[in-house]
Amino acid sequence: MMNQLIFKGLFDKKSTEKTRCCGAMVTRIGFLINPIAGMGGRVGLKGTDGVLDRAKALGAVPIATQRAAAMLREFLSLSAHTPPVQWVTCAGDMGAAALDSVGITDTEVVYSPQEDTTTAQDTRDACTVLVQQHLDLLVFCGGDGTTRDIVSVVGTSIPLLGIPAGVKMHSGVFGITTAATAKILFEFLRNSLTIGDVEVMDVDEDLYRAGEWKVRLYGIAKGIIEPTYIQVGKASFESVSDDEVKDELAEHINDELGRYPDWLFLFGSGGTLDYIARKLNLDHTLLGIDAVYQKKLVAQDVNEQQLLSLVKRYPRVKLLLSPIGAQGFILGRGNLQLSPAVITKIGLENIIIVATPSKIQHTPMLRVDTGDPQLDHQFATQGYFMVVIGYRLSRVVKIQTNSF
Amino acid sequence: MTQVTKRNATKFLKDEYDELVKNHFEWNIKILESGSTPHAIVNGKEIIMMCSNNYLNLSNHPRLIKGAVEAAQKFGAGSGSVRAIAGTMKLHTEVEKRLARFKRTESALIYQTGFAANSGLIPQLVGEGDIVISDELNHGSIIDGVRLTKADRAIYKHRDVADLEKVLKDADRKYRRILIITDGVFSMDGDIAPMDKIVKVANEYGAMTYVDDAHGEGVIGPDGRGIGAHFHIEGKIDVEMGTFSKAFGVVGGLIAGSQDLVNFAYNKSRTWLLSGSHPPAVAGAQLAAIDVLETEPQHVKRLWENTKYFKKELNTLGFDTGESETPITPVIVGDSGKAKELSNRLFTEGVFALPIVFPMVARDRARIRTMMNAGLSKQDLDFALHAFEKLGKQLAII
Repeated sequence: MMNQLIFKGLFDKKSTEKTRCCGAMVTRIGFLINPIAGMGGRVGLKGTDGVLDRAKALGAVPIATQRAAAMLREFLSLSAHTPPVQWVTCAGDMGAAALDSVGITDTEVVYSPQEDTTTAQDTRDACTVLVQQHLDLLVFCGGDGTTRDIVSVVGTSIPLLGIPAGVKMHSGVFGITTAATAKILFEFLRNSLTIGDVEVMDVDEDLYRAGEWKVRLYGIAKGIIEPTYIQVGKASFESVSDDEVKDELAEHINDELGRYPDWLFLFGSGGTLDYIARKLNLDHTLLGIDAVYQKKLVAQDVNEQQLLSLVKRYPRVKLLLSPIGAQGFILGRGNLQLSPAVITKIGLENIIIVATPSKIQHTPMLRVDTGDPQLDHQFATQGYFMVVIGYRLSRVVKIQTNSF
Repeated sequence: MTQVTKRNATKFLKDEYDELVKNHFEWNIKILESGSTPHAIVNGKEIIMMCSNNYLNLSNHPRLIKGAVEAAQKFGAGSGSVRAIAGTMKLHTEVEKRLARFKRTESALIYQTGFAANSGLIPQLVGEGDIVISDELNHGSIIDGVRLTKADRAIYKHRDVADLEKVLKDADRKYRRILIITDGVFSMDGDIAPMDKIVKVANEYGAMTYVDDAHGEGVIGPDGRGIGAHFHIEGKIDVEMGTFSKAFGVVGGLIAGSQDLVNFAYNKSRTWLLSGSHPPAVAGAQLAAIDVLETEPQHVKRLWENTKYFKKELNTLGFDTGESETPITPVIVGDSGKAKELSNRLFTEGVFALPIVFPMVARDRARIRTMMNAGLSKQDLDFALHAFEKLGKQLAII
């Protein structure tokens, strides 16, 4: 036909190749539910781990199975033309029951919990089995806690897709709603989405125990992302890999480092900046903030106090940030070291935001929650950032402060 | 000593083509066995043409054909050189003078193609320390022109002047020159850039404006004089770029603007300096096309009557035709597979229209893009509408 759609250089050929079974291409999808996810939220608790009995006493009812079944129903209504799927799951409430409730009965059950009431250990144990099942994707239902349990076992070996059902869903693996998750799964099966890095985030437990509720970046998982396309002919497009896009961003930042030789550059946390820093041969901390001067690392994984003394020592500072997690936060989630005092000293005009176009498509707002209403107001007044999305290429992205 | 062959130098040619074929991504070129006429013969089949850019059917106009033939008879088949050395004929300069008069600008310059105009001129207008600000849905040839510059690039939201102003505000402090560049008529949706507002905001910030009016030239504005005339801002857009290959019915790119622009452009555009000039027949037909537009207003009028009728009837049938304000009328289908299927079935029914699918448009906005032609009769349009109705019902689109 006249329309060309060329998918070249998909992120990681190996991880996107479907399993060949009996001559036909069958996609093997793991399906895991954390049955107690989200129960705490309904009764005002900030999670369910460790407080299940209290949640139950307060009248909490399970919601995860319903959410998972809703996603499956949406998916089945879309999936008439997708290639065949082999579901690999766990017994009962941990997966099989939800699949069964929508009429998917031909499943491989590879794990059964010992007790009726499941725990985080069951999630981890199930993952130990699932990780050996040659899965193309692991669909799970839960929240940030569930994501961390899964990632602690599977790491980046299987791409994840989260059906949102937890109390907190800051991690980048989640669809916004059950319907959106179904659509992502559908497009993934039609090979029109690709695999990329997403951040795993959760409440900082130490701070939480001390009475503060702050979100931290825990690591990077593989998730499903929108590919970036470039037009190569009048009507033909190539999807470029996430790494290629990040290579371009790294080249841009390298130029900036050269253009401002007497400025200190602070590299923020998250997958995109980590990739860029590594590309520039800097020994970067994924989860922390590093300081770079004249293309050399001068301080690593600095805390707020160290940042304050750095910005004192170096009068001219540029801060590199990238939106992280499912909601596109640039400040206030996962980088608490960048306190209002630090940001005020650096100045909004010296913040450089970088993001892949696929990230901007997923989270078209930059969210800011510094904890300081006056500083948040400054961001709100500015209203937008010019975000670097390619080599010498930027676009306007709106800022949303914590009034949401 | 014998040399051991290290590699097969050209193996990739076949490998990459085979890969395209395997994925059904290769171009299967359809062959026109007639002229590009409203009723054309394509792959041996008579069809109603709804995907050519020959909006006014001027490619078949007797005065254009005569202009081409007479110019060839008088001045030969070729021009002998590039424009800069010995290939500028009086005929070429005559076309440029007439074009400036038609566009109501101080001056004009003809390029070999529209693509040559964009990819030759844009990289000269801006360089290091400058910025190009571009609509997110601009055409590929603009994007290529922009890629050739050392300037920074910023994208603003489609037709969103408020977004553009944000970029301008940011860029104002940082850059030497600012170039705002946009399609005039966007070829996927048929909507029009708010050029009057863009020029206004550009003037506030001292930015240059550049419009690619390929689909507006000969179509919008009084007598088809293009986007400047459409917004009554003739001569106020710094670069009005267009083409002779669409409504004008011939081939060739053009720019219209000040004498300073033209002097700059032909001395600096490498595409202009390094390609052979148009053969006399092309220039003769271009001149005749301008003549026709200036003296026969019925073609533009007819194009718009056809467009209005076709859009109205499609809407009455229940089709979503998007936001189009021009003779490009998208028929929104939704799913990409369905759009391709509808295009195939339309061809079988005798209507030739192209599907536009993801990622050219959003996943759920795949469509058939129809392009109106002034040479189609009401009967032809009814025939096409009947095919759309029948197939739209078959495919559960309406």
